[in-house]
Amino acid sequence: MLRSKSLSSKLADVILITILILIAITCILPLWYTLSLSLSSKTAAAAGAVTLWPVDFNFDSYKQLLQDSQFFKSFWISIQRVLLGAGLNFIIVPLMAYPLSKTIKDFKGRNVFMWTLIFTMLFNGGLIPLYITIQNYDLMNSIWALVLVGGAQTIVFNIILTINFFRNLPKSLEEAALVDGAGPWYILFKLFIPLSIPVLATVSLFSIVYHWNEFLYGLIFMTREEFYPLQTYIQQLVVSVDPSTMTEDQYKRMSELSNRTLDAAKIFIAMIPVLLVYPFLQRYFIHGITLGSVKE
Amino acid sequence: MRSKGFAKHYYMMLAPGFIWLFFFSIVPMFGIIIAFQNFNPGQGILGSEFVGLETFRYMFELNDTMNVFFNTIYIAVMKIIGNLIIPLIFALMLNEVRYTIFKRSIQTIVYLPHFLSWVILGGVLLDIFAFQGPVNQLLGMFGINPILFFGTPELFPFLVAGSDVWKEFGFNTIIYLAALTGINPALYEAAGIDGASRWRMLWHVTLPGIRTTAVLLAVLSLGNVLNAGFDQIFNLYNPLVYSTGDIIDTWVYRAGLLNLQYELATAVGLLKSVAGFILISLSYYLAYKFTNYRIF
Amino acid sequence: MKWKGRLFSFVAFILFFMLVACSNDGTSSTDEGENKQVSSEPGDPFGKYEEPITIAIGQEVDPSDTSLQNGDTPLDNQYTRHVKEKLNIEVEHAFTASPSNYDQKVSLAIASNDLPDAMVVGPVELRQMVEADQIADLTEVYENYASPAIKEIIDSTDGVALDNVTFDGKIMAIPNSQAGADGVHNLWIRKDWLDNLGLEPPQTMEDLKEVARAFVEEDPDGNGQDDTIGLAGPDTSNKLYANFLESTNNLYGFDGIFSALHAYPGYWLEGDDGKPVYGSLLPETKEALSVLRDMYSEGLIDTEMGVREDSGESIISGNTGMFFGPFWMPYGPITDAVKNNPEANWQSYALPLDAEGEYTPHLSTTTTQYVVVRKDYEYPEAAMKILNNLLAHESEFDPSIGGPGYYPLRLVYAPADEMEVTTVALREVLAGTKEPSDFYDMPAYKLLKSDVDTIFDVKLEPYDNMDIEYWDLETSLGQWTRAYSALVGTSPLVDTEIKGVKSLIYSQTETMEDRWVNLKKLEDETFLKIIMGTAPLDTFEQFVEDWKKQGGESITEEVAEIVASN
Repeated sequence: MLRSKSLSSKLADVILITILILIAITCILPLWYTLSLSLSSKTAAAAGAVTLWPVDFNFDSYKQLLQDSQFFKSFWISIQRVLLGAGLNFIIVPLMAYPLSKTIKDFKGRNVFMWTLIFTMLFNGGLIPLYITIQNYDLMNSIWALVLVGGAQTIVFNIILTINFFRNLPKSLEEAALVDGAGPWYILFKLFIPLSIPVLATVSLFSIVYHWNEFLYGLIFMTREEFYPLQTYIQQLVVSVDPSTMTEDQYKRMSELSNRTLDAAKIFIAMIPVLLVYPFLQRYFIHGITLGSVKE
Repeated sequence: MRSKGFAKHYYMMLAPGFIWLFFFSIVPMFGIIIAFQNFNPGQGILGSEFVGLETFRYMFELNDTMNVFFNTIYIAVMKIIGNLIIPLIFALMLNEVRYTIFKRSIQTIVYLPHFLSWVILGGVLLDIFAFQGPVNQLLGMFGINPILFFGTPELFPFLVAGSDVWKEFGFNTIIYLAALTGINPALYEAAGIDGASRWRMLWHVTLPGIRTTAVLLAVLSLGNVLNAGFDQIFNLYNPLVYSTGDIIDTWVYRAGLLNLQYELATAVGLLKSVAGFILISLSYYLAYKFTNYRIF
Repeated sequence: MKWKGRLFSFVAFILFFMLVACSNDGTSSTDEGENKQVSSEPGDPFGKYEEPITIAIGQEVDPSDTSLQNGDTPLDNQYTRHVKEKLNIEVEHAFTASPSNYDQKVSLAIASNDLPDAMVVGPVELRQMVEADQIADLTEVYENYASPAIKEIIDSTDGVALDNVTFDGKIMAIPNSQAGADGVHNLWIRKDWLDNLGLEPPQTMEDLKEVARAFVEEDPDGNGQDDTIGLAGPDTSNKLYANFLESTNNLYGFDGIFSALHAYPGYWLEGDDGKPVYGSLLPETKEALSVLRDMYSEGLIDTEMGVREDSGESIISGNTGMFFGPFWMPYGPITDAVKNNPEANWQSYALPLDAEGEYTPHLSTTTTQYVVVRKDYEYPEAAMKILNNLLAHESEFDPSIGGPGYYPLRLVYAPADEMEVTTVALREVLAGTKEPSDFYDMPAYKLLKSDVDTIFDVKLEPYDNMDIEYWDLETSLGQWTRAYSALVGTSPLVDTEIKGVKSLIYSQTETMEDRWVNLKKLEDETFLKIIMGTAPLDTFEQFVEDWKKQGGESITEEVAEIVASN
């Protein structure tokens, strides 16, 4: 009786682990496939001969990639954008989350401000007014357009997460500090922020990932390829053109120019920075999300 | 209490963030006026003629509008359900595994897709599911004729929902796993003494233990009923699947930026914002009522 | 509280500033007019400016085009240097965008009223900009500065090109004009399959069905497998039929079948009462849809139509027996099909014929793109000069060090009968009745000289048999493509008396601006469903009703007004 139970339990374990491994494999498959494609020959890629392993293994596309200065320019723009965007996010989020984590008893205007934030998160005038606005600020082709517009749209979510985290901090800490005569700035910077590293790391990660991955504003606010961030640059490569609007010579050129292996190499390189960042922040974001306890 | 005089400081903390949001989120909202105008770009928003609700009347005449709203809700609801259930199942499976290192590694791997952009995943998915891509080659081995996955209107919504759930399920397990660790181990011990099987423990201890979390997540996702995912669909769809795959956000994008139907695009966008605002308010209310939880 | 008050006044100030800034944009464009006086007397179409002037344009840049050499950039290359040298015009880029994003950039520029000095746009944008009073009246520029060559080409369209850009009697844009041949959709057939089965090219609709049936059922490629397609259908990026806005280059559509049944969906026709009527609403269209529906259900049409990403693939792989397409299909899948299987003898016919035995295709407009100039730009004639320069020197550039797409404001100019003239010339040279040098002095026909010079490199004897085995693909595939497009693709247009049908208009009306996209979508989806059998044929009546209700009626009235005023 006992023996058969543990046997079936073991069998269950084996099945369970196998399933988990299979699921995990599907998660790295796209990465793997892109890598295989980028290491295959052009003809094999065009013929659809590449599945799991590179066909006619070679590094040509990476050599070609090294000569593409625009790719690296865009890469650098994205890095700058991430640093500025995440930096700003890191400063503004706790500053706004702290007063808003107060109850209405402690801070009368709290609800008005909070609902205003929610309102900005949900309403917008559309892309064209946004474009006109950025133009009037003279921010076209400026990295600040990407940082500030994108940031403004994601910060509210991060603030909500942080508010919840702050609320979950023990009340006694703040009360003790108040008794000692501490002011709000002191409480925020010396007490709350040091205790909130998990959530601040989490919202920073969200901000990093958002700014790294966002492509549409690059397309809208940048008038030339040289200003495109990386995802915008890649997006225009992988999107196809409607052949009915093409002239005869364009049509002809297109078939000669498709270069899937080079595109795959670019996509693969673009994945790497995020892959390097998130495993190291894993410990923090698990904690941060759990205590912020809001799901996107 | 002592915190009475703090309001001034709270305002100062909020100021930088609100100035930012004012310039980059609230100012562009002046464009909402376009929905009530016959917008003439040469005259600008101030010079254009007001037509009242004319555009909204036209909007409701269009077959498209209903279709697009339906598609949005259909896809979004599928995503919401999938994103609630699949991560739960996965978390439960993971929870049954006792080898910590294995568990950690699996977790790290399944988080991966969450961090990749839809620009990149879109490109990769279209490749993998292409007519001559690996998936069709695999099906070919079983004698199944190749399918043009992302070109078939009947399949498209499911592929969108499926790929979104696949991208996010790993990340979404975080909250469930936290809830699972929060279950009192004494309950399991008690059940073990009673001779309960693994299945019975799951049913009688584990599931009740995370019920609150699951309900909360369900309520919170209500706000997403009109968000079917612009980035994802924009990078995956094509004219052939407009009938089932075109959602509010992609439709607005095309109407406003490609077809020069500024008024219509703004009106539909506004309708979406209003509906979204109502839904968020509703979920705020429900979450507070049923789980005594304040979202923000 | 004081602080709050200050915030409010600050906000009010900002809002005020914003509104002023916006309204400035709106008014600043009204106070021009003096500038234009400069160009009121006849000018030199190729005149070089004494002082360098700049023109900021919107430029399409294809990111996958790697033809630029020696450190050239989209802004500094053989074309821009040529323009600078010949005209003393410095080209700047107000914006660049990939082909898939170009329309979006144009749209943003229009919407925000922040226009480049000049750019290339389509008919929808043109109308919008005229409406918004954003672009300059180019009547005098065209009359005084257009080069004779361009005027000759534009005149060869019988006024259609200018009609498209004339609003209230003013020329508001410079139209392009291409060869008219790509507006006729020939029937392309695998002649080797016909021969294998002992069949003749189908003359009537009945014949066409028979041939399609034979192609599907009788294993025309003799490989023993049931893998052949009778008639190809449109893929995801093509249409069931060309329409009045996009009247050319519809690949794998059913244009030939509609036309043979005298149905002209997507075209504006003169109704029985003399008033304009939209072809898609007429009973002939319903009749043609029912024919197609039957063909589809019998398996004569590609069952995967509308689903394929590229119907060309099954032509290349040798599974397709017939399709409709323009003369230049050798530039498309046919080259690869022949490379794949040297026996794939694709021939082109002006078929099927109508009940009276006549060929009645729909005809295209030859104008699809326009150059517009911003309203208060100081040198509106500069755009015209750049185009004059293009046509005069296009053959001197070397495309291998920078594709033609990098020429600023490039529009395609070709005489409407370019292909037909080329075909006749090639035949005469092959027959020995004329020498290549007889065709050297025809500058508007840009490629004719090289065509007649190289024809003997690619055509093998007998010179009057166009079957694929009598061609040499090895020497120069590029020249073969061109010659095959002329002698096979264009021949039916030369040899057949074409009783073509034109649309009453080829551009948008005012209401279309708002409503056409949605009406078009309604039409496309309904017709596709009817043909593929997922909706009953009688959905057609519902469609007609919906179409009229959702703006079609007022659009029809507008078309009537325009037609009456012409």
